[in-house]
Amino acid sequence: MFSKVLIANRGEIAVRIIAACRELGIRTVAVHSEADRDCLHTQLADEAVCIGPSDSASSYLNVTSVMSAAQITGAEAIHPGYGFLAENAHFAEIVGECGLTFIGPSADAIRLMGNKSQARRTVAASEVPILPGSDGPLQSSDEALALALEIGFPVILKASAGGGGRGMRLAWDADELQRAYDTAWNEAERAFGDPTLYLEKYVENPRHIEFQILADSTGRVIHLGERECSIQRRHQKIIEEAPSTVLSPELRAEMGRAAVAASRAAKYENAGTVEFLLAEDGGFSFMEMNTRVQVEHPVTELVTGVDIVKEQLRIAAGEPMSVPKRKQVRPEGHAIEFRINAEDPETFAPSPGRITRLALPGGPGVRVDTHIYAGYTVPPYYDSLIAKLLVFGRDREEAIVRSRRALSMVRIEGVKTSVALHQRILESEEFVAGRIDTHFMERFLS
Amino acid sequence: MFKFEEICELIQLVGSSGVANVEVEHAGSRVRIEGRTQVVAAPAAPPAGVPAPPPIADPPAVAAAAQPEAEAAAPEDENLHPVTSPIVGTFYRAPNPDADPYVKVGDFVEQGSTLCIVEAMKLMNEIECDISGTVVRVLTENAQPVEFGESLFMVRPA
Repeated sequence: MFSKVLIANRGEIAVRIIAACRELGIRTVAVHSEADRDCLHTQLADEAVCIGPSDSASSYLNVTSVMSAAQITGAEAIHPGYGFLAENAHFAEIVGECGLTFIGPSADAIRLMGNKSQARRTVAASEVPILPGSDGPLQSSDEALALALEIGFPVILKASAGGGGRGMRLAWDADELQRAYDTAWNEAERAFGDPTLYLEKYVENPRHIEFQILADSTGRVIHLGERECSIQRRHQKIIEEAPSTVLSPELRAEMGRAAVAASRAAKYENAGTVEFLLAEDGGFSFMEMNTRVQVEHPVTELVTGVDIVKEQLRIAAGEPMSVPKRKQVRPEGHAIEFRINAEDPETFAPSPGRITRLALPGGPGVRVDTHIYAGYTVPPYYDSLIAKLLVFGRDREEAIVRSRRALSMVRIEGVKTSVALHQRILESEEFVAGRIDTHFMERFLS
Repeated sequence: MFKFEEICELIQLVGSSGVANVEVEHAGSRVRIEGRTQVVAAPAAPPAGVPAPPPIADPPAVAAAAQPEAEAAAPEDENLHPVTSPIVGTFYRAPNPDADPYVKVGDFVEQGSTLCIVEAMKLMNEIECDISGTVVRVLTENAQPVEFGESLFMVRPA
């Protein structure tokens, strides 16, 4: 096992990784921008290094600075968390070339899966269902149109390098497709520095169901069941839960097998997530694979008892995963995650600022992953996630009642938060009945 | 656990020394004492500890104590201009181990002249002086790690 790990991230996930390292007896190095001097991860890590100014391009995304910090502190491995450099194959390669270990899949696996259009080609060869669409990146809007006419409207254009809904456009007819192509192209260029697009058949009212997988160097690949992530706004997840209310044991097994097959197709090693669209008729298709730890990974941890971040560290160190063999991990109970953002619960406008008062809930079945504390100033430069409230119950009913109780005990003053939004969603009849799909939030807010 | 008296002692130490903060870790518990913020002319405050906080991790104090060169008396301290590191890396005073340092205390430097090297990922970044003036202090020892924004030299503007 490593003796010192550098965490190339900030906020709650950096704190989460420090927790896993500490339990495994690993020393930690935090890196931070000038704006994050007071962020909790810099205080909890054994060492902290300032790597640049507040804008992430010059700090958390600066490969040279991150590697230089690893070098001067003598770290043996780098955990990238999520976002920032987590799915950057070039970075994973450099870490390896410098004689350090990247805590994640190989650069090759990231290339095969990290790019969405490439991922479609990677899994197409195995037994993984994919949506009809372009075979790799589109060359022109004419090609997009020809393909759309062949597979039928509606279609969706997506950025090859995309994520978080940027560079993504829906088209119901040929006119709309032309406009959508140009907008998506420009958006993808600006957001990811890569304008290439691909096209897929658009599934109406799908659910977003993803499977957590673990793969180690012995060649063992397992899945830890699904997470239901359909509660999204503008492709940003808001609430995630496990298990899904609609997966039969047979469908779960079938989707789990597909997730494992997709991982094997990329010779994937470490923790990853295979995302599927689940149509109303129960048909499912591969969407993409996230080659990193997910924001919502604790949902799976709560229902399986597997510490995913510790498994990541073990696997990266060349050890086999510690999940017992000869037994499919069977999720028990029900877990829900609420992403608490520093934003206005009505307008969704970001609300950075100083947290003047803070009291977080505890008690049975409640877990909070966070980097905030009373007196902490939420900087305006990074994403607005300030805490993840997780609730575990015997079943969904208990989890929902407990969620209402836990949310009612949250006191955050000084910044606006999405707590009130979550409380309103928990009163929605549709949500309580489990009648959700990726358009839930549009209906809910209209 | 720290004893109450020990924490009181630390508070007194921070209060009387003018040091910005002290962080002590012992037997699994850690205490951090922050003094009143000093008004310093330098735009970049001394950064947090690199490497690991030793038993008494106080980066500003360490930096001051380890100060390899300084003028015997440094009047007009408020007017000194700090030259900060634009990158995290390793600080070198000379172009190679056998060469003389780029600058010594007392040297007059022109704006744009090289003061030192900060190595990051085997890349030698020459750090130039952003004003003309006299080098009054060298704040970091040769071959030591430096953070982004860390003050490396104090220069009295000409």
